[in-house]
Formats: sequence, C-alpha cells, structure tokens
Amino acid sequence: MNIPFFKYGMFGDEVSLIVAFIIGIGFGFFLERAGFGSARKLAAQFYFTDMTVLKVMFTAIATAMLGVYYLSIIGWMDLSMVYLTPTNIMPQVVGGLLLGFGFVIGGYCPGTSCVSAATGRTDGIVYLLGVVFGIFGFGEVFPLVSGFYNSTLMGQVTLPQFFNLPYGVVVFLVVLMAVGAFVAAEWGEKNMAKKAEAKK
Amino acid sequence: MKNLTLNNKLAFIAIGLGFIGLFLGNPYKGNLVSMNTTELGMIVEGKVDHVSVQDLADWIIQAKMDFKLIDLRTEQEYNEYHIPNSDNITLTALEKTSIPKTEKIVLYSEGGIHSAQAWMLLKAKGYKGVYILFGGLDDWKDQILFPKLSETATPEQIAKFEKIKEISKFFGGTPSVGGTADVKTETPKMEMPKLDNQSGNKAPDGAPKKKKEGC
Repeated sequence: MNIPFFKYGMFGDEVSLIVAFIIGIGFGFFLERAGFGSARKLAAQFYFTDMTVLKVMFTAIATAMLGVYYLSIIGWMDLSMVYLTPTNIMPQVVGGLLLGFGFVIGGYCPGTSCVSAATGRTDGIVYLLGVVFGIFGFGEVFPLVSGFYNSTLMGQVTLPQFFNLPYGVVVFLVVLMAVGAFVAAEWGEKNMAKKAEAKK
Repeated sequence: MKNLTLNNKLAFIAIGLGFIGLFLGNPYKGNLVSMNTTELGMIVEGKVDHVSVQDLADWIIQAKMDFKLIDLRTEQEYNEYHIPNSDNITLTALEKTSIPKTEKIVLYSEGGIHSAQAWMLLKAKGYKGVYILFGGLDDWKDQILFPKLSETATPEQIAKFEKIKEISKFFGGTPSVGGTADVKTETPKMEMPKLDNQSGNKAPDGAPKKKKEGC
C-alpha cells in the first residue's frame, strides 16, 4: 500500500478537497462528541477541574504516532513523503503563547470554535468571527512582522533528530508521557473535586 | 483483568506498542538524504560531470565499456531508438535501482534536463561517478547520426568531417553535405553494431585512441 495516498497520486487536487472535507467533518464530529463545543468544558481545563482536553489531545497524538510509526515499519507508508512544517522556534513560541491566551480568554481554540459555531452557540460564532478578523489582520500587518516570522529557522526537525535518540525510544517515551499525563490528570481531577466539595 | 476499565486496557495496549517500538528502529526507509552542496556546486561549475557525444561514440567504438550507460526515457522511446549498450531505467525506477554505488554511470535523455535531474538524484544517494551525456540524444542525433557539413566548410572542417562520417556510419547514421541534409526525419532502427565483422566498425583513422580517464 502507498500512503500518503495523495502524494502517491491516487487522487488529484479536486478529490483531495473532498477528502479533506470528509476528514474535517469527522474531526469536528469527534470534537463535538468529546464535549469540545462548550467553552465551559474547554475553560475548565485551565482550572484543572476537567482535563478532558488534555486526555483527548494526548490520546490523538499517541494514537496517530503509533499508527504512523507501525504503518511505516511494516512498509505501508513512506514517512519521508509526509510534509513536516519547518520549525521557527521563537515565532512559534510567541504564536503558541498568543493562542494560549486567546484560548483562556475566549474559551475556544480555532478548531473548537468551528465546532461550537456549527452547533449554533453564539459565543462560538463570535469567536469564529474573531478568528477570521485575526487572519485578515495578520495578513495586513504581515510585511511588518515577516522578519520575525521567518527568524530562528531550525528546519524540518523531529524529536528523534533534535535529541539524537532512536525513533523507537521516542515513541516509547511519548507513550509513557501520555499515560503518565492521563494518570496525573485523573488524580488532579479527583483532588480538585474534593477541594470543591470541601468549599461547599 | 476484569477490574480494568476500557481506558486502562487502551493505555496498556499503547504502552505495549510503544515498548515493542523500542526494538523496531527507524520508520524512515532511507529516502531522506543530506547533500554536500559545496561539493556538488564545484562539480557543476567545473563541468567535470559532462561527457560529450563524441567521447561516448569513441568509447563505444573502442569497446571501452567500463561504465553503465543509462537511457532515462520511456520504454517506448527506448524501443524506438537508443544508443548502443544502453539500459533503459526511467527516473522513478532509478530511485529503486540496485546499481553499486562505485559504478561509473553515464546518463542520457532527450535533451539534458532529465539527465541533470537524475544526476542530482544519484549524487544525493551517494553515487560517486555519475556523468551526463552533454546535449543528450539531441546532440547524439545532430553530431553522430546525422552530422552535416556546410557547403562553405574550410579544408580543416572537411578533414574533420571525414572522421565524423566514419563514426556516423558505424552507428548507422546518415552524414550529409550542404543542403541535402533533410534525411534527419527518421532515426535508424538500431541494432547493436557487431564490432568484429562489419566493414564500418573499425575505429576510424585518427579517432582518439588514448584511454580517457574519469569518463
């Protein structure tokens, strides 16, 4: 089997849009099923009372990583054909913080705001309008920030390359990290619930 | 085991898969390469990776085949005509080729673009002696198969043309003088010339006989 299908020419540009649409709908559906259409649930993450976001995201990361790793190992997938976004460390740190602030203040991230808007929530729709406005705003000021935007380029770097570790070791460590995070999250949720009980 | 929730079971499966991963190694199948761009730049600038059609013709005539001649065109084009002694390997097939990395390789295509691209690909894969037939099959046709002598040629050019004529005939070409050169429409059906028993197969007089080093 030749994965990625698009890179191996199994379908063209037009069909790829349909495929992307189907995957997008699927992504949105499962975000909604995880309860991510609600800003209350998402914001609870930052008060450590509901760690669903961390659990869902880390599950997605671990599942995708194991899937991609094993598909490549058995030869169904050519990992070198998968596009890696180049790392510009400083602008991406700043961008991440900006997104984090927006997430705490608004209660959504870009993906979940779409889910929320799709389910008819007013705050979601307003947030999505803000996202669109932000995109246009960024486009307009891009010439002013392009120097910083392209600075501190590290290339298409991966964790095994950066830490000079074998791929299998990184896979195992990420799985351990994920499971550790799940255990810590469950424990934290229980503790926070107890504290909340005590306050009442 | 019965006390385990679905989440616990999934976590154990993930840990198990991660643990097995410790022993399975690199998921990249060696398609990612790094290149010394300075070295490549110097080779390209110095044009030391070029082979002229005259040199190639000489080598074939002298049966000096210590290199692999690769035709990068499609199978159909290859079947219509190809330079004697060449193998047909397209660009995509070249990626998976098992030619030893120490082998001398001469690449040719219709013009020069595919050869240059294949050259880069092989260099990136660590092949040491890769050369491009300069001008490709176009030059081969113009200068070897269908050489033309203009009517206003100097005696020197005429003398040179006599040698080229011999080479051309060896490869089944049609040398022409002046305006009668429109034979160029079809390429001769090419059978590998037999080096022993054809009159035209003797190395033409004055053709460079010395061995050329480094292709």
